[in-house]
Amino acid sequence: MATPARSRAISLVINGEQVEMEVPARRLLVHFIRDDLGLTGTHVGCDTGNCGACTVQLDGEPVKSCMLLAVQADGSRIATVEGLAPDGDLTALQRAFNEHHALQCGYCTPGMLMSASALLARNPHPTEEEVRYALQGNICRCTGYVNIVEAVVAVGGGA
Amino acid sequence: MLLREVDYARPSTVEEAVALLAGYEGARALAGGQTIVNVMKSRAAAPDVLVDLANLEELRTIGFSADGLLEIGAMVTCAQLVNSSEVDVARPILAEVAATIADVQVRNRGTVGGNVCVNDPTNHLPPLLVALGATFTIRSRESERTVPADEFFLGVYLTAVGEGELLTKVSVPPSNDAGDGFAGVTIGKHGTYIVDAAATVSDDGVRIALGCVAAAPVRATAMEDRLAGSDFSADSVAAAAQGLGASLDPPSDVHGSADYRRHLAEVSAVRAVLQAAGRRKGA
Amino acid sequence: MTTLTEQPAKTLERGYVGQSIPRREDRRLVQGQGTFFDDVRRHGMGYVHFVRSPYAHARILSIDVSKALELEGVYGTITGDEVAIHTDPFFEMSVEPGGLIKDYALAVGKVRHMGEPVAAVCAATRELARDAAELIEVEYDPLPVLVDAEEALEDEVVLHDDAGSNVVWSGVFDWGNVDQALAEADHVVTIERLHFHRFSSTPLECAGALVEYDKGTGEWTLICNHQMPGVGAIWMAPALRTGIDKLRFVTHDIGGGFGNKICLHPQYVVLCLMARKLGRPVQWTEWRTDQHTANAHGNERTFLDVEVAVKADGEMTGFKVKAIDDCGAFPRYEPLGCIIWAQVTPGMYAWRNIRVDFTQVCTNKSPVSPNRGYSRMQHLWLTERIIDIVASELGFDPVEIRKRNYVKAEQMPYETPNGCVYDSGDYAAALDIALDLIDHGSIEERRVKAAARGKLLGFGIGSTLDSGTNNFGQSTLLNPELQFSGNNEAATVKLDIFGEVVVTLGTVPQGQGHETTAAQVVADILGCPPEQVNVRRGHDTWFNAHAGFSGTYASQFAFTGLGAVKGATELLRDEMVKLAAFVLQAPEEAIELADGMARIKDGPEEAALPFMALGAIVNANNAFLPPDFNPTLNHRYVCRPYFGMVDKERKTGQLTLTYATQIHAAVVEVDPETGEVEIVDYAAVDDCGVRINPQIVEGQVHGATAHAIGAALFEDFVYDEDGTLLTANFYDYHVPHAMDMPPLKTGAMESPSPVAPLGAKGMGEGGGGGIHCIGAAIQDALRPAGKAIVYDSCNPPHRVWSMLQDPGSTRTNVSVVSK
Ligand SMILES: Cc1cc2nc3c(=O)[nH]c(=O)nc-3n(C[C@H](O)[C@H](O)[C@H](O)COP(=O)(O)OP(=O)(O)OC[C@H]3O[C@@H](n4cnc5c(N)ncnc54)[C@H](O)[C@@H]3O)c2cc1C
Ligand code: FES
Ligand code: FES
Repeated sequence: MATPARSRAISLVINGEQVEMEVPARRLLVHFIRDDLGLTGTHVGCDTGNCGACTVQLDGEPVKSCMLLAVQADGSRIATVEGLAPDGDLTALQRAFNEHHALQCGYCTPGMLMSASALLARNPHPTEEEVRYALQGNICRCTGYVNIVEAVVAVGGGA
Repeated sequence: MLLREVDYARPSTVEEAVALLAGYEGARALAGGQTIVNVMKSRAAAPDVLVDLANLEELRTIGFSADGLLEIGAMVTCAQLVNSSEVDVARPILAEVAATIADVQVRNRGTVGGNVCVNDPTNHLPPLLVALGATFTIRSRESERTVPADEFFLGVYLTAVGEGELLTKVSVPPSNDAGDGFAGVTIGKHGTYIVDAAATVSDDGVRIALGCVAAAPVRATAMEDRLAGSDFSADSVAAAAQGLGASLDPPSDVHGSADYRRHLAEVSAVRAVLQAAGRRKGA
Repeated sequence: MTTLTEQPAKTLERGYVGQSIPRREDRRLVQGQGTFFDDVRRHGMGYVHFVRSPYAHARILSIDVSKALELEGVYGTITGDEVAIHTDPFFEMSVEPGGLIKDYALAVGKVRHMGEPVAAVCAATRELARDAAELIEVEYDPLPVLVDAEEALEDEVVLHDDAGSNVVWSGVFDWGNVDQALAEADHVVTIERLHFHRFSSTPLECAGALVEYDKGTGEWTLICNHQMPGVGAIWMAPALRTGIDKLRFVTHDIGGGFGNKICLHPQYVVLCLMARKLGRPVQWTEWRTDQHTANAHGNERTFLDVEVAVKADGEMTGFKVKAIDDCGAFPRYEPLGCIIWAQVTPGMYAWRNIRVDFTQVCTNKSPVSPNRGYSRMQHLWLTERIIDIVASELGFDPVEIRKRNYVKAEQMPYETPNGCVYDSGDYAAALDIALDLIDHGSIEERRVKAAARGKLLGFGIGSTLDSGTNNFGQSTLLNPELQFSGNNEAATVKLDIFGEVVVTLGTVPQGQGHETTAAQVVADILGCPPEQVNVRRGHDTWFNAHAGFSGTYASQFAFTGLGAVKGATELLRDEMVKLAAFVLQAPEEAIELADGMARIKDGPEEAALPFMALGAIVNANNAFLPPDFNPTLNHRYVCRPYFGMVDKERKTGQLTLTYATQIHAAVVEVDPETGEVEIVDYAAVDDCGVRINPQIVEGQVHGATAHAIGAALFEDFVYDEDGTLLTANFYDYHVPHAMDMPPLKTGAMESPSPVAPLGAKGMGEGGGGGIHCIGAAIQDALRPAGKAIVYDSCNPPHRVWSMLQDPGSTRTNVSVVSK
């Protein structure tokens, strides 16, 4: 039988790289990513799971990394904003964010990109309504979402 | 934001999970974590042991029982409900309502089992499952039992699932001739409900359950009775709702007074019933 | 959609300025390569956690840290007692009684609001710091709680014993002759009470800092997200009994501010003490719940006994009002809010007789801080409420009554009754653009259609001014002893050895795109592409690029920030020209800077020096320059806008310099059964003079609109009678999400500012136009259902429903006496 333990050796793939580490059971995935792995692109904007600044993709699906323990991610594949354009060539989505002025302070941006890129992977030509639905879990306090929605729609070829 | 120390285990069978839950004091199941991790972050609760149900594949399936009930494993996520062809065929309201719970990320992790076991008065699924007449299968080390929805929800964070027990599945009768409806008022689009109501209208009669007006979903039995044989016109449904608000003792908070909630209960119940009646096959 | 009424800028030939150049900040931010304070770590760093008060008002009987110190991995603690020994209370700006308040970095003796920090603990990990905080035992003796500003006026319970009263500041502003105006009016409309609620723009990144102490030099470095370090240092250095230059503020990227990151000095002082006490770098990251409960709310304001003088034809000649402002437990940046509103005293209207009896009080709630639209938004909400209540009671059309009373384009520049000068604008024209955008002509038709669907449709306007570039001299209208006046901002520009232009800013951007717009301005002046201009990210007080009022606040970057950049760049340009003239043996007039070169106009191709050559000469190859010619190619310029002095007797003066216009218009549908409000059409028109980068301007309009929509419909910091904040996180404090936002239509016009260096007015705060127009639209929608008066700035479903249930109770608030 599995024995409960204070910490656990976990092994996961993050942005294509295999990581193995012993982590305390209580460590949140977002702190594991930021503090233990030094991938600081993933942000924290709240303490209640509302804001989505911490959004990463877990096995391809967007999740809020502040509501997962790092030990829960054992055996999974994680993608963070740093993995979008590993060689520095921006993706079409990242370029669209720039061209459409879809970010101001940029604090929500990594989470937005992870939600939006998951949407585009599933649905390459989303409508405005579909984009808003997909981004409902990501709060932006700067842009009023106007240009964010426009950027994502544009990547899909919509007006 | 930061949790107390906790022990963690990830069993691979239901037996093992139940043994862990029963064997360790202060052990709690960890499903999607969309509530419990938040509660632990605020340190409002601090289980000693988390038993992660993630590897219990048998709890992740949606299928049908021999007698045709739609069976939803406790670890089925809201996202799975939304995309399930079984749900679509048997009881599409489940997908429709699940699609409006919070947001994509929460739906990707949050489970049916977690949603009902938390029984937060604002959660979508408890009143819906009461209206649909669902049954809940609970496993303990010794036995397995089935509890009807009307007896399942006991209070906030309190259900028929006792200590050391595990909810394994939720069974929902297929629609057949029934029509289902769901209505209410949220704080922002797809936000938390201030009051919600679920209704189902079938040959067997009407079932109405209200959320956010008490610690557990409340059946609007008097209104159900008044609707027996109704023509389900807007006027007759509104007439049947008369007095529903007065029969309730809802909480007051920043989002609404008790009186406002009493009023919304009537409005929501009427809307849910009209929607259900309108969707009833052959209606 | 953009409607642009183009008017030529007077001040500058347009090149890169005026273009929507994509922002250069974005490249790092879209890759997760921004650097926010919490991304920075230091060897041996400790994490700080604050122990916070669970009570709104209580005496602290004892604090026992011993159990926390026993926990392995805990580095140390600080309590209020130590703070009282090692620091002085922060400087207070008010006269007595407010000026007697003692505000320390941690609670000393008493707590005055829920969430107030009473102790701090530092440990090896974030989790441990919190564990340790739970072991600190604090004994409290609860005291009666004040959450109501009017009750606070009675002084039965007093928050600050040193002050002896809850009143921070009070005074009467009286311009023109309001009594005469009321006597001569055909109608006097009285409004008993209006309430502007508490909310804040809640930037997505919370506050925090990493603080290092250098024992040898006694210097602290704060890697932080303070948005106004110049003023932060003025508070902190005396409290810490050190010199201003001992505090080095460094910011990199900041995740939004909106004024919520101005009053961080209490926590920062604790961090400084902790770093010094422990001899190690310490860091603190605020949590969202703490941000909501104990950092910075917007000012809450109650308006009582409003009386408005109206002529038979709808001309409004004046009003009087009693305003009670609730600043929460400590004044901090206050009582400046008691005067800042006066920048927009008449709103957009030409009435000349205004009396405001203004009082600010403390209550057991979170302290306030200058939130986006600071103090003007509250006052503009009042003026817009007045207009719409008067229109509705006397049967005037809300568009017509506005146009009749607006200050007219031909009156510009217009001096207000209190001596401010509205620099330019055409309000009626801006309103027309907004009306076009929402197809105003079809409102009645849409109203009928909505009614057929069981919905009540309403239309409303919010006309606001976004005043920019504070004259700090206005503080002396509150406290004549204060030694503040004017304003300033600095920038440095240099040409480096390889020909790269390097700019440092005194401003502290939090998303406003300063790196991009500054590069646009520099590129135009130096005749090079913006890519050749490196505007350093963030702010560092050691760059020497800051002045006393440095920061990003009060909509002033376009004026002072870019004014400083322009000034420094012009100094650099002149020197580059001089140097080129010397090298090319040509008169200075013959030299032009273009295409990244200094060259002889119409000269041969070889008669040109790339910037690199100029940079190299001065920096590395300068032996041939004569002794009396010593170019540095490195310039600092301080932009000091001219205001003149304020008149302390009459409380008049030039309080601010530029006035951008924003007109918002909304169409809403109310569900009469539930009180839910849906915005079905929305337009915002902005006129901020020359737009350096139109796309960035439009982005600011979007953001300000979203904040206003949130405030109008959801965002409300509500306290119960025990002083517990009931909306302490994003669950209960609902901010707009993507699906909550209606499609926004934006329009623009450009009325260049005759006073600003680039013709560009400050903008971005927005004046809360959305709050005003949504409130007006709701009132319009409720007209057929009993004519309720919208009396609160926040109208969530339950309030709208109550207004529908009992419109009479809101109507007793208003009366009209006609002669
Ligand atoms: C921002 C946000 C907004 C939300 N809004 C809504 C909303 O509007 N409506 C709504 O319905 N929900 C909402 N949720 C809640 C969400 O649906 C949760 O996912 C759900 O309530 C809990 O499911 P979970 O799988 O995450 O459970 P967990 O958090 O893992 O568990 C919750 C509780 O149930 C127990 N439990 C879980 N599974 C079992 C089982 N099989 N047997 C016994 N006990 C079990 C756990 O021990 C724990 O005590 C929201 C969540 C967030 C973060
Ligand atoms: S930090 Fe994860 S949702 Fe806000
Ligand atoms: S850009 Fe600042 S929060 Fe979205």
